[in-house]
Amino acid sequence: MVAQFLGLRLRLLANSFAGGAWQTVGLLVGLAVGLVAAILGVTALVELRDATVTVAGDIVAVAGALIVLGYFLIPLAFGGDDAMDPRKFALFDLPAGRLATGLAVAALVSVPSLAIALVAFAQIATWSRSSGASVLAVLSALLIIATCVLGSRVTTAVAALIVASRWARDVAGVVALLVLAVVVVIGIGFLGVDWSTDGSSVLHSIVVFAGWTPFGAAWSAPAEAAAGHGGTATGQTLVALATVAVLWVLWRVVAGHTIVTKYREVVVKKYKGLGWFDSFPSTRSGVIAARTLTYWGRDPRYHVSLLIVPLVPFVMLIPLMVAGVPTNYLALIPVPVVALFLGWLIHNDVAFDNTAVWLHVVSHTRGSADRLGRAIPTLIIGIPIVVFGSFFCAVLFGDIGVLPSLIGVSLCILLSGLGLSSIMSARFPYPVARPGDSPFAQPQTGGGGSATVQAFSFLLTIVVAVPALALARLGLIEGGTWAWGSLWIGIGVGLLVLAVGIAWGGRIFEKRSPDILAFSMRN
Amino acid sequence: MRGSIPRRPLAKQSDAAAKPAREVVLLIEGLVKRFGETTAVAGIDLSIHAGSFFGIVGPNGAGKTTTLSMVTGLLRPDAGRVFVHGADVWANPAAAKRNMGVLPDRLRLFDRLTGAQLLYYAGTLRGLDRKTVLSRTADLAASFGLEDALDRLVTDYSAGMAKKVALAAAMIHSPRLLVLDEPFESVDPVSAANVTAILRRYVGAGGTVVLSSHSMDLIERICDDVAVVVNGAVLDTGSVNDVRKGGSLEERFVELAGGRKSAEGMEWLHSFSD
Repeated sequence: MVAQFLGLRLRLLANSFAGGAWQTVGLLVGLAVGLVAAILGVTALVELRDATVTVAGDIVAVAGALIVLGYFLIPLAFGGDDAMDPRKFALFDLPAGRLATGLAVAALVSVPSLAIALVAFAQIATWSRSSGASVLAVLSALLIIATCVLGSRVTTAVAALIVASRWARDVAGVVALLVLAVVVVIGIGFLGVDWSTDGSSVLHSIVVFAGWTPFGAAWSAPAEAAAGHGGTATGQTLVALATVAVLWVLWRVVAGHTIVTKYREVVVKKYKGLGWFDSFPSTRSGVIAARTLTYWGRDPRYHVSLLIVPLVPFVMLIPLMVAGVPTNYLALIPVPVVALFLGWLIHNDVAFDNTAVWLHVVSHTRGSADRLGRAIPTLIIGIPIVVFGSFFCAVLFGDIGVLPSLIGVSLCILLSGLGLSSIMSARFPYPVARPGDSPFAQPQTGGGGSATVQAFSFLLTIVVAVPALALARLGLIEGGTWAWGSLWIGIGVGLLVLAVGIAWGGRIFEKRSPDILAFSMRN
Repeated sequence: MRGSIPRRPLAKQSDAAAKPAREVVLLIEGLVKRFGETTAVAGIDLSIHAGSFFGIVGPNGAGKTTTLSMVTGLLRPDAGRVFVHGADVWANPAAAKRNMGVLPDRLRLFDRLTGAQLLYYAGTLRGLDRKTVLSRTADLAASFGLEDALDRLVTDYSAGMAKKVALAAAMIHSPRLLVLDEPFESVDPVSAANVTAILRRYVGAGGTVVLSSHSMDLIERICDDVAVVVNGAVLDTGSVNDVRKGGSLEERFVELAGGRKSAEGMEWLHSFSD
């Protein structure tokens, strides 16, 4: 049984390489990122071998606890491995216990599991100082792997159970994202502590706490053993063992429950009138814009993208603050960054339609009308955000003179971002979660193109904004009319790229419409 | 183009030949589609006259959906041409698609819209003005029995309801030709009778319906003309009476499709496991 699940997992992994060049590239990127992260971790742990027991123990316990926490939370936020959902095996005549075992063992075969295994075993090197600590470290390595693998299985399955209804899924996604954001902020906050003076005391109080949590116990136990605290080490090992036991029971129960539970029914809601369609002219672009706005409100897949936009600037500001960039200069950052992400919002819009895009194809919707309609909602919310946001931030900056260049750069980024996205979404759509699926369920035909397309459209948007940025910089240094130059150049370049993007993207959309439909049928 | 002489009089269709010549509203020439090694559609020719109720029958995997996808501009053919009311679907799509209403099989709808919004969306994409769309939406909803469903999300519809709203969306711009892929699948018998009556009236007024189905009974009952498609090729076409040759369409179809598979073997199925 276990062998069959392992075989299935390996075959799924092998088949994901058979999905075309883009996809293979994406998988290799994912694999490389995982391995690089693991190797960095391994190197650090091996180097800590030469550190004092206290320093090494503190670092390993806190970092380790955060890593384990990540294994619990990330599947919640970004969806786990849907292919091995226990529900998929509900119709086979499998005892729940064997199913749970098989799926847990199969879960070992994945990039994250491989990464944590490497790191967990490297931690043995850190503690091979005395025989007691070494033995404990070996046991800890196994416990860490088991905790991470079972933990992510349990959270994934629980999420799938609770989040079956449309509304709950929506809320859960948002909550998970917020929790992750908080974790990131806290993590970055650590960088702000002055480690040379009050660092160790802050850290040490955290270590004492982390070492007794289910997340940090297995990491902390060998350190305590190496330091000669046999009692603490034993206690923490027991916590770690209990964690694995509890997770196993939970996994067993959740898996057993999942295969006998049907998806929750959704309460049917009634809507009055035509909604956004009443607010837009009844032209092709108008209804497409209204449809896009309606979907922003009703489809959780869009909520995730919309939620990221306001979060990003804050996450970006923190490291800059820590790095000591003057606060008033930081005020110049949020608006262009928000504009960048707003313009980027629709770079894969067609893929979100899935096969429903056939309606545009059979009605021979002009490509430019399609492109424009999809861009209009972002323009409607983006332009006021840029103008008012720039005003607010210019006041924060302390010199209202930067207002023209702030607006110029931001509008340039927003407009040209929309133009480039209009081309990208017609030419390089990549698979996304299907309508009705969890917004975090990554499609099985993994995103090879996705990373490249995303990076490329970001980069190109910034390149296009270089003239406006250069003038804005001159304005900052020399003052005078440079700022106004940035405004007009920014708006001019932005409008030009938007117009070209809509026209060119429209032509691509018309030419490739059967290919786009074929792509969405494979998705 | 209205009332122009057909490009090719069909010798096979004795009924049609006897009547005054009608326009060929859909002309399919040498349509071919291959997916890798398999040939899904191996050279289909059909000409369908205005005012006919035309059924395409075939077993699962015969290439019905592939053919109709190429006819409606959703799938690019490897060879062959399709003319709708004289306009080449792949060379002059604007004119061809204007005259065609489409109901595809197994493709999604924009189902986070309400029924009313979906019909409004489809109508406006077809270039209708607001007033026309709203009055036609009301008419279609009344005819298809969708009044109570208009304010609900299409994603909450049953499969049959979703089919009906999609059918309504295909008709909203009063096309000359309706291409319907499995229009009656998962539609209940009462609604099916209702939809059939709507389509009959449409054909009576000079419209043309091309539909695919694997239900022989249904095709025999409602269609005037029929094409039997097996393995991507037309095995026989003509009026229903000509094709069935005295028997039922189903018998003739099974004969054309290569006969009934022997029901022998699989004796294990008759000794039940515990």
